[in-house]
Amino acid sequence: MKIPKRTFVLFGALLIVLLAMAADTVVVVKIQTTSIRQNPQFFAPALVTLKAGDKLTKISESNGWIQVKTQTGLVGWIHSSAVEVTKLNLLASNGPMKTQAKASEVALAGKGFNKQVEDSYKSKHAELNFALVDRMLQVKVASNLIEAFLRQGRLGDFGGGR
Amino acid sequence: MKTLRAFTAVLSLGLLLLASGCSVVQQGADVLKGTGTISAEQANTIQKTSETIRSTFGEISEEEEYYIGRSVAALILSRYPVLQNAALTQYISTMGSAIALFSDRPETFAGYHFLVLDTDEVNALAAPGGMIFLTKGLIKRCKDEDTLALILAHEIGHVTAKHGLQSIKKSRLVDAFKLLGTAAIKTYAPDTVAKLTGIFEDTLGDIVGSLVERGYDRKFEYEADGMAVKFAGRAHYDTGGLTRFLKTMVGDSSAASGKGWFKTHPSPQDRISEATPAITALGAVKIADARTARFKQAVAGLK
Repeated sequence: MKIPKRTFVLFGALLIVLLAMAADTVVVVKIQTTSIRQNPQFFAPALVTLKAGDKLTKISESNGWIQVKTQTGLVGWIHSSAVEVTKLNLLASNGPMKTQAKASEVALAGKGFNKQVEDSYKSKHAELNFALVDRMLQVKVASNLIEAFLRQGRLGDFGGGR
Repeated sequence: MKTLRAFTAVLSLGLLLLASGCSVVQQGADVLKGTGTISAEQANTIQKTSETIRSTFGEISEEEEYYIGRSVAALILSRYPVLQNAALTQYISTMGSAIALFSDRPETFAGYHFLVLDTDEVNALAAPGGMIFLTKGLIKRCKDEDTLALILAHEIGHVTAKHGLQSIKKSRLVDAFKLLGTAAIKTYAPDTVAKLTGIFEDTLGDIVGSLVERGYDRKFEYEADGMAVKFAGRAHYDTGGLTRFLKTMVGDSSAASGKGWFKTHPSPQDRISEATPAITALGAVKIADARTARFKQAVAGLK
């Protein structure tokens, strides 16, 4: 008995669907830099610093935080606003952590409105002070200062007003 | 028979699409082409469709938002001088960074950053990605830290909901995305850069026009007020600070100027009516003495 070609194709497609469903969920860092923390809190100790494009395997999720595992096996928490969730591509041939992406952060890294476009815009607008913008971006309030500010003001976890 | 084959092909690819992204689709299309179920041309069409070009503001990447935000910030800074007051800037930056942690978008590409503008105009502006500006005129109208916190939370709300990016004309994005396509290149040819720069410039015009000239759609302002109450409430600030500020602004002398905040925001009375139910639901909070003390110290000397 000859199996009809379309049945064969359909069966193949279904198999791929099942494989994809069984795949690990990979999250990719989409911001310049962030940390994996010991607990799902911003003031929890940072275990490792990550940069845009770094890939992690998702373990679980809780209140906007994702528990992840790094490629070196380190387990910790990262806030969901820092990552893009994607699926592991089982069909990719080059490397186990290769992810597939459509119009995703990973696929778009460095593209579109990028430094090249900003430089071109800057060259047409010498009156704009980008050095001031750079200075503004360099100022980052350290997390221990934020924590001290909250504690002093009886805010956040230190608040007892409500 | 031909119809059946096409049906099978479409169904198979639909299933593939459900489970995955384009690289799997490409391989799926190749498989179907190999079996002779579809032609090479059909495989190409399917592949192209699966790579649907970006079309909405939601598909602007975090990095692109960062570059848009940088230039919006540069344009804001070309209109107003920066207030040279390190202590006040540090106070606002620390408070803003703290509130951002309680928002729905605590992390952005380059994080949140704050500056005070040296003008008596009452205004607060947020560039996409999290560069936030408060004017001296606005800070002078705040009587306590919690009021200031609600204003910062309102601006963080605009960043969280990407209101700046939403004010970009759709046709602009369609043009940019069409030009970019899905090519896997990171360095553009000079003519592409020239075209992209033109679109970039128009994009900035859309955003700055909304921020400074026309104001956002009223629903965005109400949405940002709602988020301000939510985020500041989570931080245990007294969300009544929003009402206190809006009441101060009713009949404020600067309203007559028709500039800044008054030009770009719904009336304070309307905003009070919209925000009050959520504020009442959260209940009042006692403002800790330490907050009052540090607020007074930070704004002392503001002229």
